[in-house]
Amino acid sequence: MTETAKPTAPIWCPGCGDFGVMAAIKRALGELKVPPEETVLVGGIGCSGAIHNFMDGYGFHSLHGRLLPTAVGVKLANPKLTVLAIGGDGDGYAIGLGHFVHTLKKNVDLTYVVMNNETYGLTKGQASPTAPLGFSGNVETPFDAPLLAMSIPSSGFVARGFSGAPREAGQLITQAIQFNRERRGFAFVEILSPCVTYNDTYKEWREQVQNVDTVPGYDRTDRGKAIAGCLSTIASGRIPVGLLFRPSDERLAPSLDRTLLPTVESAPATAEISLDANRARYEKLLAGLA
Amino acid sequence: MTTTPATDLSTPVPSERLPPSVRRGGPRRDLSVMIGGQGGDGTLTVSDLLGRYFHEQHLYVYTARNVLSRIRGGHADASTRGSVEPVWSQKASQDVLVAFDDEAVRIGQAELDPEGFILGDHGSVNEGPERLYLLPLSMTAASKVGNGLYKNTVAYGALSHLLGFDEAKARGVLEGRFGRRGGDALQKNLSAFDLGRTLAREQVGEHPLFRLEPGTNTRSILTTGNQAAALGFVVGGGRFFAGYPITPATPIMDHLTRWLPTFGGVVRQAEDELSAINMTIGAAYAGARSMTATSGPGLSLMTEGMGHAGQAEVPVVIVDCQRVGPSTGEPTRHEQSDLFHVVFGSHGEFPRFVLAPGFPSDAFELTVEALNLAEKWQLPVFLLLDENLSEYTQSSEPFDLSKVRIDRGKLLSPEALAALPVYKRYLFTEDGVSPRSVPGQRGGMGQTTGNEHDEWGHVSVNPENRRRMMAKRLGKLERARADLPRARIYGDERADVGFIGYGSTYGPIREAQRILSGQGVKSRFLQARTLWPVPTDELEAFLGTVQRTFVVEHNYTGQLALLIRQALPRAPVLSLLKYDGSAFRAPELVKRVKEARP
Repeated sequence: MTETAKPTAPIWCPGCGDFGVMAAIKRALGELKVPPEETVLVGGIGCSGAIHNFMDGYGFHSLHGRLLPTAVGVKLANPKLTVLAIGGDGDGYAIGLGHFVHTLKKNVDLTYVVMNNETYGLTKGQASPTAPLGFSGNVETPFDAPLLAMSIPSSGFVARGFSGAPREAGQLITQAIQFNRERRGFAFVEILSPCVTYNDTYKEWREQVQNVDTVPGYDRTDRGKAIAGCLSTIASGRIPVGLLFRPSDERLAPSLDRTLLPTVESAPATAEISLDANRARYEKLLAGLA
Repeated sequence: MTTTPATDLSTPVPSERLPPSVRRGGPRRDLSVMIGGQGGDGTLTVSDLLGRYFHEQHLYVYTARNVLSRIRGGHADASTRGSVEPVWSQKASQDVLVAFDDEAVRIGQAELDPEGFILGDHGSVNEGPERLYLLPLSMTAASKVGNGLYKNTVAYGALSHLLGFDEAKARGVLEGRFGRRGGDALQKNLSAFDLGRTLAREQVGEHPLFRLEPGTNTRSILTTGNQAAALGFVVGGGRFFAGYPITPATPIMDHLTRWLPTFGGVVRQAEDELSAINMTIGAAYAGARSMTATSGPGLSLMTEGMGHAGQAEVPVVIVDCQRVGPSTGEPTRHEQSDLFHVVFGSHGEFPRFVLAPGFPSDAFELTVEALNLAEKWQLPVFLLLDENLSEYTQSSEPFDLSKVRIDRGKLLSPEALAALPVYKRYLFTEDGVSPRSVPGQRGGMGQTTGNEHDEWGHVSVNPENRRRMMAKRLGKLERARADLPRARIYGDERADVGFIGYGSTYGPIREAQRILSGQGVKSRFLQARTLWPVPTDELEAFLGTVQRTFVVEHNYTGQLALLIRQALPRAPVLSLLKYDGSAFRAPELVKRVKEARP
C-alpha cells in the first residue's frame, strides 16, 4: 500500500465548534463507508475551510469563496466521487454568495457544509453576514442562509445542525451525502459552530436551537410551509434546526450531473481521450467543416 | 459629391456613368465586397454567402465584420475578399460596396477603390458619389417576395450577375445555407436571388461588370480561430469546458456545447468568470483536460484563479480572445493589449506559458499543444487570440489529425501509483514536476492547495521549504524551453526589413512581405508562437539576420516590444503600433515601414 499524506493536527482553538462539525462529517462518511480515496473535500478560506487538512481523503484548498465552483467542477468531471464543500459563513455567505445561490440553482450532487459562527475568526472577529446587530459594531441586519436556500426553486435538501450536538449534525450530513449518492441533487447543511475566541455562543445557541420536528405543524416537504415554519420559529426567539426542507422525491428538481451524465461511467475525467479510440469520430467532425 | 438621381429606374443606368474598369468588365484576381447597413439588415448573411461562393470557386477567402455591441440597429458592415493568391487579411480597399442606407455609403466610400462602384438600395440610399448605382433591393423584396428582409438575398442575386458568378453555383450556395431550414425559407431566398439577377441584368445588360477569376485553392477549409481552438480542444482530449458569455470568446463555448457532449464531455455556462475558472480548475484537478475561454473583462475576474492554478500546480488552459480594453472598451473591436495581463497578471509569482497562434490551423495545433503542456508541466497555459483571429472567417489549411498527439506528462495510472512506496503530491524532482494522482485513485490522497505547502501538500511557512518550492515551480519556465512551440519564419534568409508579430498580424505582415518583394525589398518575418517565456534564442538568431526589425502589434504601449527588450536589452527593434480598433492592412504596413526608414 502506497504511503501517502496523513491528516495534520487541527489549527482550531481548544473548544472550537469546528471540532464538532469535523466529528459529524467523519461519522457520516464512516457510517456510509465512503472510501477515503473516493472522497473529495474542498475547503474554503477561513478556520473552517482548513478542515480538509485534518481528514483522510483527497483535499483541495480553494480560493476564498470559490469552493463551490471548484467542487462543481470536480463532481461534473467525475460523478463517481463523493464531494463535500466545506467552509465558513464569511466564505460562503459574503465573498462566495453568488456561487452559493448558483450552486443551488445548478443542483449538482454534492454536499455543502457551512460552519456558521457569525464572525470572521481568522481575521480576528469582524462581523460576518450572519452577525447579529451590534456584534463587533455591526449595523446591518443579518440574513438566514437556509431561508435563502429554500427560496431557490431547485433546492431540495436544506438542513441546519449545531456542533454542540454532533450526533444529530452527523445524521444530517449522512442524509445529505446519501441524498447526493442517490443523485437527487445538491444538499446544503449549515452547522452552527461557535467561535470560542470571538463569538462564544455555545450557551445561547444550546438554549435557542429547536428541532423542527418539535415545531407543531411543521411540514418540511412543502416549500412554503417549511419557510413559514422557520420564520415563525425564528420569530419566537428560537433557531430552527434539523432537516428543514426535503420535498418528496417526485418534486425534486433534476440533478445537473445526472442530467448531463446519466451514467457515471462515462465522464470528462474518465473518458477515453486517445486519438486512436476517437479517430473515426474526429474525422467525421472535421469533415463537416470542409 | 455628385448626387445620382434615384428615380430613374425604368431605364438602364447609362454605362458612361460607370467607372472605366467597370465598363471594361475587367477580370479580377483579388476582389473585396463590403456590405453595409443597419444591424439586422442581413449584411453578415450576404458576406457569408459571398465567402462560401468564393470558397467554392477555390479562391482564398478572408471576411471581416464591423458590428456594434447591440442585437439590432446601428451601423454594421462586413466585407468579403476572394483572391487567386493566398490572402490572410482584409484588402486595403473595397471593389464593391453594397449599401442599404446613406450611412453605409458615407462610411464605406472611404474604403472604396478608385475603380470600384457602389450598389445602393433605391429608396434607402439617397445620395452618393458618381459611382453610386441604385437598384430597388428592398422594394423588390417587399413587393415580390413578400418581406423586405429578403433585400439581402436580392442583393446577393444582383451581385452574382454584376460580378459574373456562375449562376448554378451561386444558387447552390443558397441551397446549402437555407436548404435545411425547412418551411419556405429556401424557396423565398431563391426567388429573391432570381429577382436580384433580373434587376441587375435589366440595368447593365447581359455582361457582368467585373469578372472574378476562379482560383486553384482546392485544399482550404473556411473557418475561424475560435472554431479551430474549439476543435483543437476536442481532439486534444479536452472534456471539460466552463465559460461565461463574452465577445469575442463566446463562439468557442457555442461550438463546444454542440460537440463536446457527444464525446463524454461537459460544457457549462457559469454564473461569472470567477466560477468559470474555478470550475475549470476543479475539473482539471479531478483528471479531465479542462479549458475556459474569455476576453479582457472576464480575464480580469479570472486573475485570482490563474495564480491559484499556478500555485496549486493544476493544469488548465485559458483562452483569451483579446478585444479593445480596458473596462468594457470596445467589445467588438480589435486589439492586442492583454499581453502583459496574461504574462504578469496576478499577485505573487507563478509559472505560466503563453502561446499565440497566427491563423486558424495554428490555433488548432496550439490548442492541442496547450493541453499537453498544461498537463506535462502542471501549470496554467494561456492561448492568446485576438478579435480578428477569433471571429473572422477565412481560408485555412485543413486541420491535421496526423500531427495530434496526447501527452499527459506525469499523470499516474492506478497501477503506477500502486507501485510507488510513497506518494507525495508535490514531490521535489529534477524537472520540478511531481507525479500526479487524481481523486478516486487509492494511495494518491493528499492536499492540493494554494497555500504554500511541503511535498505532502501540508501548509508550510518554513523558509527553506519556501525557497525550494519557489524554485520547483518558477524553474519550470527555464526547464520547459525546449518543449515550447517554436516561432515560424517567413521570407528572405537575410533581409533589410524584419517583422516580429503574433496573432492575426500574421496576415497583413505576410501580405506586406509580398508587396515589398515586388518592390525589390527583402524582408523576413518571425511569427512568435510562444510569448512567455520570451523565446530569447529564437529572437536573437532572427535579429542577426535582419537590418531593422519592426515589432507589429495592436496596442499603445508596445507590449511585445517591451518584452523583447527586457529579454534582449540591445535588440534594435522599432514598434509599429495601431490601437484604433481596426487591424493593419498590408499597404499600410509597407507605408509605415518606408516612412520609418532613415
